Amino acid sequence: MSDVIAAIATASGEGAVAIVKISGSGADKVASQLFFRENFEFSAAEPNKLYLGTVRAGRVEDKAFAVIFRAPKSYTGEDVVELQLHGGRVVAEAVLEAAVSFGARPAEPGEFTKRAYLNGKMSLSEAEGVEAIILADSEAEAVAAYRALGGELDRTIRLAGDILVEAAAMTDVALDYPEEMADEEKPQILGSLNEVKGILNSLIGTERDRKLVTDGISVVLSGLVNAGKSSLMNAICGAERAIVTEYAGTTRDVLRERLEINGIKVTLSDTAGIREGAEGAEKIGIARAEEAYKGADLVLFVMDGTEPEGEEEIALYRKISVKPNIRVLNKSDESKYPREADIIVSAVTGENLSALREMIAEKAGLKKGINPPLIRERGLHAAITALKAVEEAITALGRETPDCVAVDIKEALERLYSITGEDAKESVVEEIFARFCVGK
Amino acid sequence: MKKIFEAVVIGAGHAGVEAAAALTKLGKRTLLTTLSAEAVAFMACNPNIGGTAKGHLVKEIDALGGVMGEVADAATIQVRMLNRGGGEAVHSLRAQVDKNLYHRLMKRRMESTEGLSVSETEVTDILFDGNRVKGVVTANGDEIEAKAVVIATGVYLDARIITGDYERKTGPAGFMRSEQLSGNLVKRGLDIRRFKTGTPMRVLSRSIDYDKMELQPGEEGLPAFGMLTDFTPDNDCPCYLTYTNAETHRIILENLERAPLYNGSISGIGPRYCPSIETKVVRFKDKERHQIFVEPEGKDTYEMYIQGLSTSLPFDIQEQMLHTVRGLEHAEITRYGYAIEYDCLNPKCLNAALRIKGFEGLYSAGQINGSSGYEEAAAQGLIAGINAARYLDGKEPVVLPRHSSYIGVLIDDLVTKGTEEPYRMMTSRAEYRLHLRQDNADIRLTELGYEIGLAGEERYRRLLKKKGEIADLKKLFSELRYRTLELTALGIELSESTKTSFSVAELIKMGTKTENIRKLIPDVGNYMAEAVTSAVIDVKYAGYLEKERRRVEEEARLNDYKIPADIDYDDVDGLRTEAREKLKDIRPMTLGQASRISGVNSADITVLLIYLKKKKR
Repeated sequence: MSDVIAAIATASGEGAVAIVKISGSGADKVASQLFFRENFEFSAAEPNKLYLGTVRAGRVEDKAFAVIFRAPKSYTGEDVVELQLHGGRVVAEAVLEAAVSFGARPAEPGEFTKRAYLNGKMSLSEAEGVEAIILADSEAEAVAAYRALGGELDRTIRLAGDILVEAAAMTDVALDYPEEMADEEKPQILGSLNEVKGILNSLIGTERDRKLVTDGISVVLSGLVNAGKSSLMNAICGAERAIVTEYAGTTRDVLRERLEINGIKVTLSDTAGIREGAEGAEKIGIARAEEAYKGADLVLFVMDGTEPEGEEEIALYRKISVKPNIRVLNKSDESKYPREADIIVSAVTGENLSALREMIAEKAGLKKGINPPLIRERGLHAAITALKAVEEAITALGRETPDCVAVDIKEALERLYSITGEDAKESVVEEIFARFCVGK
Repeated sequence: MKKIFEAVVIGAGHAGVEAAAALTKLGKRTLLTTLSAEAVAFMACNPNIGGTAKGHLVKEIDALGGVMGEVADAATIQVRMLNRGGGEAVHSLRAQVDKNLYHRLMKRRMESTEGLSVSETEVTDILFDGNRVKGVVTANGDEIEAKAVVIATGVYLDARIITGDYERKTGPAGFMRSEQLSGNLVKRGLDIRRFKTGTPMRVLSRSIDYDKMELQPGEEGLPAFGMLTDFTPDNDCPCYLTYTNAETHRIILENLERAPLYNGSISGIGPRYCPSIETKVVRFKDKERHQIFVEPEGKDTYEMYIQGLSTSLPFDIQEQMLHTVRGLEHAEITRYGYAIEYDCLNPKCLNAALRIKGFEGLYSAGQINGSSGYEEAAAQGLIAGINAARYLDGKEPVVLPRHSSYIGVLIDDLVTKGTEEPYRMMTSRAEYRLHLRQDNADIRLTELGYEIGLAGEERYRRLLKKKGEIADLKKLFSELRYRTLELTALGIELSESTKTSFSVAELIKMGTKTENIRKLIPDVGNYMAEAVTSAVIDVKYAGYLEKERRRVEEEARLNDYKIPADIDYDDVDGLRTEAREKLKDIRPMTLGQASRISGVNSADITVLLIYLKKKKR
């Protein structure tokens, strides 16, 4: 009956444990795609018992406990799975995102408790006791959401909403007054839908930016062995972090360093250089390095200016060039072999290092004074669903089924207005009268 | 003189006749009163029944066992399916109807109904025993005993018609008005308001130059409104289309100070969607022309209805502007347009059963509830009649949820949101538009109509047959395959012809037109036409229907949660003041209805839910 909802149940911030809670009939199905343990199936699992296993969510993998509560013996009265993860937001958010991708819906504020009431789980004295809390919670949520929407995000959603309301009104008026509205509206509706698609795409893009802002970005140093990656890393960080020797292949593991550029967290990873014929620990290091650059937001491709440009280097660059990257020609103090590069630096003299930092900031879009919009997982989900609906509306328009176009537009509107809390339907009807001349 | 009935229906317009027919069919001895026997089911304005969303209403009325559809079929003189370009969910049947014939057929139907008395009389007051209805009083002093009363007075309460500076205290078309009832309703504490509507001029046919207009013929092969209609409605009277122009608009704008709507002599609130021509010209200055449809009033008259020129401008201005229109240069007006102002109830004083809150046995339906249109009136009349009968039987009222029907949407909108202008049904008011189609009105409602006791055996039998056929057809669609060559030979074009064969279901999903799909069904003539339509739509819109169905289910839980009628909202802790006031005002029947009241938010609903659960214990 009720759909599956999911949320991070623990407070945000750093803590030892983070819990993702999934509720609804089918919660176990969602969880079974996230949590793995040998000879274990949620359907056969004993309720109320902790199982140790592994969660896999996208790139994230972690040890975790899972526990299932069977309806009606759970907080919400539905099947509930709780995944107890290591603290911090990274793992928990990845798991929540994965849960959503497997069919769960991010829970509304207070929704677990609301379900508990609806399912008659909560005793009345308890209900009265927490009633105040629930109300305060949703009020607070409303206020918080509203504040979040007070800025650019709010205006963006409003703009998209206004265009959709107009498109919905145009569709509706054409359906309700077929004798008065000609086909001339159709290209207009298509234009409006495409405009909203653009807006939503950039909104969802903005959401990704927000993640960069909260989680920071990952910059990976890559290049041939002994190109001077570690020295460069040290120079950028201003500390002797990596082990630097004169011998090629010194760095055998991925080293990470956190720094701030324009107030944004940057994780700089130094990787083992790539070279043919590496063995043992170094080989493992190289494998990890390849993994690391795959997950990078930006790759610094470091080249040794004292060595000529070889086939190996060209091949490696071709490999990483699918990623946003900066070609850094290092060792400018003794550079003998100039070649095509985005910047020439010297880790030794510090030449051009601040320019490199600026370039990193520019390439990764780390503008000064980014103000993270307060869109939450729920808002993002709403925006993505709205975008999907708009795309379906465009398809339906092409198939000449305007009655379906209206369904899609309304769904998109409802999703968008679920972020701002407005009622879409009333505004559509209002719009019909305000904009169109309609007769009997 | 004292007469005894079980129910009285005040007013024999489109709402009144449905209410009376339903009451009698459900076994209640009923008196139907009318100010004039010539006004029974009188079509005071346009000569059509059906149209966008309204066609849906007529089909729903018929599916429940109402009378409008069958009588409309018998009085039809032209049919069209509107909204062909809009997709199948919004196809709307519209009939041009012979007004006099419609009136005569409906009057005869009432007269021939066993247990129903029709009486030309004016009801002036309603009698109560405490808050229970016990009868009505008429202008000639009769007291009529009845435990249930349906008020269906249309636009007749304290009506006034206005053309320029000429005004008369009458109902529409010169029929007398009701003078005392409205005041007596106010005395009972009811919230009475003043609304306005209008009608265009009628013109003599032979003075019209049809050669200068676009011909609008009827369409062949369309379904009828009535499930049981076993004949093909007439379809031999064309309509015509012409347009206003800059000159028409100039005349109107130059004479606005003589327009009652603009010089302050009309204060009633008019319908935005059915505006007068002067309102259209003022509000939509950029629009160069407005459509005018010239439609026959019937076969027994040469009067033509000028749809689109509703006006209360003075007589001379009406002539001037009419004569600027192509084809109407020499048109002779037989009746001038007028505005009509009337008293009506604030529909928020009703519950979803159309009972007036605070009273037992008192119902109201039609334009008195702030609606507009024959079909909207009839739909309410039917529900008010059903619920008045059920009240007399001590049964629970019938309330149609929004996802069941346009009737449900109409009534829920009226009683929950109220209306600030005459309310017209539109497809955009329904959130489940793809489910609420004409072709499945019987599937949605006939079973309920049968259980209530209105729809009858024959409708029920046809429903079962249709359901069976739809299931068979859907199975057939997925099994039956055609090769591309065979399809091309049948003249069916394929947009993607990469495959060598297609199932019929695939063809439907690719957007193949229903008329082409029909060619692919063996012995298609053996199936009911609407079964084919429904089966095709079910397949074609499967994804969207599923989307809607999920939303219906989400809402169903709240809709099923009943709020006791005697709830004391002051006793509910934690409600916000605004929500408390709104809830006290509307007194919703279910949590679902409560959640649709503007000003009541989800936190309020949660508070209410907790309170109700506590009470239950």
